[in-house]
Amino acid sequence: MGPARRLSALEQDVWAVFRQATKHDPHVYVGDVHASDPEMALLLAKEQYARRDPCVNLWVVRYSQIFATDYGDADMFRPATDRSFRFGGSHRDQQRVYREAGRRRDDEE
Amino acid sequence: MSDHTHTEDPERLAEFEARVAAGEQVETGEWMPGEYRQEALRLIQMHANSEIMGAMPEREWIPRAPTLSRKMALTAKVQDEVGHAQLLYRVAETLGRSRVQMIADLIEGRSKFHNVFHYPAETWADVAVIQVFVDGAAMQTQGALRSSSYAPYARVMKRICYEEDFHIRLGLDVYRTLADGTPRQRAMLQDAITRWWVPLLHFFGMPDRVSPHTEKMLRWRLKVKSNEELRQQFLRKFVPIIQEAGFTVPDPALRWDEASQRYAYAEPDWEELKRVGRNQGPKSAERLALRQDYHRRHRWVREAVERWGLLAA
Ligand SMILES: [Fe+2]
Ligand SMILES: [Fe+2]
Repeated sequence: MGPARRLSALEQDVWAVFRQATKHDPHVYVGDVHASDPEMALLLAKEQYARRDPCVNLWVVRYSQIFATDYGDADMFRPATDRSFRFGGSHRDQQRVYREAGRRRDDEE
Repeated sequence: MSDHTHTEDPERLAEFEARVAAGEQVETGEWMPGEYRQEALRLIQMHANSEIMGAMPEREWIPRAPTLSRKMALTAKVQDEVGHAQLLYRVAETLGRSRVQMIADLIEGRSKFHNVFHYPAETWADVAVIQVFVDGAAMQTQGALRSSSYAPYARVMKRICYEEDFHIRLGLDVYRTLADGTPRQRAMLQDAITRWWVPLLHFFGMPDRVSPHTEKMLRWRLKVKSNEELRQQFLRKFVPIIQEAGFTVPDPALRWDEASQRYAYAEPDWEELKRVGRNQGPKSAERLALRQDYHRRHRWVREAVERWGLLAA
C-alpha cells in the first residue's frame, strides 16, 4: 500500500458532502460544494443535495482532510488467497442445520 | 496542461485505450492522455455554462407565470438548473481549471454555451416548449453521457437526468394545458413550436463527418452517440408529441421513413448555428451582459465570503 494520498482540490474551499437518508442508513458521499466555512458548506449542501432526496443529517468535510488510497493500488483489495471462508456460501450445510434446529423439536411437541 | 500536439507515451496510451474500450471509467487523479483531459474539460465546461445560461430564459418568466403553483414549480426548476451548473463546474474543476476562471471565461465570452439559450422566450408557451423540447433534447445527450468514460461526469449525469425527467413532466403539464386551451392559447403554442424548431434541430450539432477526431471522441467515450443518432432519437420521441396534439412541425419535408426507422427533414441553415456559437444569437449579448452585471454587483459578497473564510480557517 502506497502512502495515504490527500485528495487534491484545486481550491482550499471544496467540501465533500455526506447525506444520511434515514437513521437506519449510513451517511453516503453525494458530491461537493464550495464554501469558506462549515456553516456555509452545510447550507449549500442542504440546498444542493437535500432539496428532493430524503435526509435527516448532513456531514461536510474539507477535501484537505480526506485521505484516500490510490486507484493504482486497487489490486490490494483483491484477495490474494481463497477467502471463501468469509462468505456464507461455504457454510451452506451448517446453515441448513441451523435453520432446521428449532423446527425438529417443534414437530415433536 | 498539455496541448493538442503533445505526444503521449504510446504504451501508456494503449493501456488507457484498452481500459476505456473494456468499459472501465477514469477517476480524478488517474493518468489520462493530455488530449483526453483537454477535450473532457472543454465539453464539461460548455455543459456547465449551458446550465447556468439555460436558467435565464425561464427565470424571466417567474414573475409572469400565470398561477402560484406554476410560479413555484418554475422557480424549483430554475434552481435545479443552477444546481446542475454548480455540479458540472465542480466536475470540470477536477480536470484542472478553477471555477473562478470558468465563470470569467463564460461572462467574458471566451467559452461557449448551447445554441438554444441564445434565443428569446417570448411568450408563456415558450416556457412549455423549453421545458418539454429543450430539456427533452438535452435529456437525449445527457442520458447517453451516463456511460461517459470520465467517472465523475457520469455520476453527476445520473443525478441530472433524474431531475431533467421531472422537468419534462412539468413542461408536459403546461404544454397540455395550453393544447387543451382556447384557440388563442393553441395559436400561441403553435407559434412557439414554429420558432423553436430550427434551434432544436441545431441543438445536436451538424451531422458528424467521420473525422478521426470524432472517432477518437467516440472511442474514448467522451462522446457516446453521434450527433445524428441523438437527433433521430429526439425526433422519434418528440415529433409525435407535436403531431398528436394537432400541431404542425414547420417543415413540409419532414416524413417518417419506415425502412430506415428515421425521420427525413429539411436541412436547417447551419450558418445560423455557427453564428450563434460565436455568441451572435438574438439574445447572446443581452444575457451575457446581465450575467456580467450580476457578477459585478455580487463582488462584495464574494469578497466578504473570502475574507470570512480566511478568518475562520
Ligand atoms: Fe439541467
Ligand atoms: Fe432541465
